[in-house]
Amino acid sequence: MKLSYKKNFSNCFSGQAHLEPLAWIFALMNLIFVTGAMGLGVFLLVQSLPIMKAEGLDFWLGENWWVGETYGALSMIVGSLMVTALAVTLALPIALSAALYTSEYLSPSLRRGVKGVMELLAGVPGIIYGLLGISFLAVTVKESFNLLYGNTLFTAGCLLAIMILPTVLTLAEDALHAVPIEYREVAEGLGLSKLQTALRVVVPQASSGIVGAILLGIGKAMGETIAVLMVVGSLDRIPGWNLFVSGQTIPSKLGREAAEALGSGLHWSALMGLGLTLFFMVSILTYSGTRFTEWSRR
Amino acid sequence: MKAKAVEKLVLGMISTITVLVVALLITILAVLFVKGYPALHSGFLFEESRDFGRAGGVLYQSAGTLILMITAVLLSLPVALGSVLYQTEYLSSGKLKTFLMQLTYILNATPTILFGLVGYLFFGVYLDAGVSWVTGSLILAVMILPTLQVSIREAVEGLPEKYREAGMVLGLTRSAQIYRIILPQCFYGIVTGIFLGLARVAGETAAIMFTATTFSGIQLPQSYSDPVPTLQTHILILAQEAVNPESLAQAWGAGLVLIGLVFMLTLVAWAFRTRMVMESEL
Repeated sequence: MKLSYKKNFSNCFSGQAHLEPLAWIFALMNLIFVTGAMGLGVFLLVQSLPIMKAEGLDFWLGENWWVGETYGALSMIVGSLMVTALAVTLALPIALSAALYTSEYLSPSLRRGVKGVMELLAGVPGIIYGLLGISFLAVTVKESFNLLYGNTLFTAGCLLAIMILPTVLTLAEDALHAVPIEYREVAEGLGLSKLQTALRVVVPQASSGIVGAILLGIGKAMGETIAVLMVVGSLDRIPGWNLFVSGQTIPSKLGREAAEALGSGLHWSALMGLGLTLFFMVSILTYSGTRFTEWSRR
Repeated sequence: MKAKAVEKLVLGMISTITVLVVALLITILAVLFVKGYPALHSGFLFEESRDFGRAGGVLYQSAGTLILMITAVLLSLPVALGSVLYQTEYLSSGKLKTFLMQLTYILNATPTILFGLVGYLFFGVYLDAGVSWVTGSLILAVMILPTLQVSIREAVEGLPEKYREAGMVLGLTRSAQIYRIILPQCFYGIVTGIFLGLARVAGETAAIMFTATTFSGIQLPQSYSDPVPTLQTHILILAQEAVNPESLAQAWGAGLVLIGLVFMLTLVAWAFRTRMVMESEL
């Protein structure tokens, strides 16, 4: 990509545009954007090199994170995966059935109402969900499962499920609603019932868009910091198969320790390594998610 | 007969789920209001916080949030506008366009804490701005770039082709087309982007909690290297003292102010977006 900038001038400016000063200003702005975006990845990579050198693969496979001695990220990685998996398992069936109902059965004005509420809620700040989680969800979990401490991986997973619900719902609904009306008319004309039409015609047609919505939801759950940090309990250990214990996710670990390590030493590099791991996980999800969504639009 | 019964059952289930989801989410909003409202005494917005946030109001916290919001958008807007116009008006390579689009999407989904980490190192340490509102604004400006870009791009690409053709027929140069036709016609799209960006900054905590803010003792920043208190971090710290009912009550109050701000900005953004769609249909 970079090469084509230098090699082929006409790629960067169409026609005689390179003679206009405005074009150069815009190109400069674009360069700032590209540097910012790529710089983020490059910085994470360069800054995590010291810890990669010191720990090697043990950085991802080690279980112990003792500041000053050894840095192993496995418990955070497992924690992140478990919390995300729980959130998705809880949110997905609900979000998808509600999306199907909203798109196929609701009247246009009701549909707009539901979409409005969902889009408004998708913008509710993480800190607000954290406040709700700490005052209600954690207490409920503690009491209904008879625990000593309500801040568990389970609590974080449930909270994340509520957080990603509006996003997944509204994106999946967009995909379903984008299926042309003719498909439905033909299917119903052939004698399929409304539900059969929805499940056998509309859903398959919208499938790539729905997959895209799901992947974006997973990415959002995996990267959420503040709400998870408040209810996950922040204890570095591999939880085994028990969800009802305190744990740690990658973002919550970063949020807890970034202020202590600010800017220097192996501890900072270890945090950057965690950040890099998270960046890769989320970027892969996002990339495939947008690809699916684009594919469905065509 | 049996198929009909199954269909009824499934329909009943998914309609119940939909109603429950909407009810759950409306309950969340109601809880926020009920919990937050008692804290909003007449001077809540105009008083300093006292006694480590347990009493008083959120004057300087609100001011801090507003300072970060406005500076971040002012910094981000020229870059977003310039890069979108470059990509839509000047760039001819399709491959490069797709690459830049993907870059926008990935930046949009990047966990915000990573902006905090990398941004602190770059702006705070290398550019020596330290833990300050300047560092915070710069970090947030990068974070909302994709939000602004997407809105602006939507507006520029939705512009009817005949407008450009009219410009070309009149012999306008490309620059003249941009500030005579594209910018005025895309005004509503740009404003939509600005308000969505403001809303996103107002709700952000992870990226600024260790890069731009401090809890108490600071009022308005006196220089570029001062940190500011913000509503978001105020809530975070008060909520972690959840055993203390006074702190928690204040946290709910601040939460209601924050959510009010975010919703207001989002609704204004939508109003402008509707305006944009209406104009483009003329």
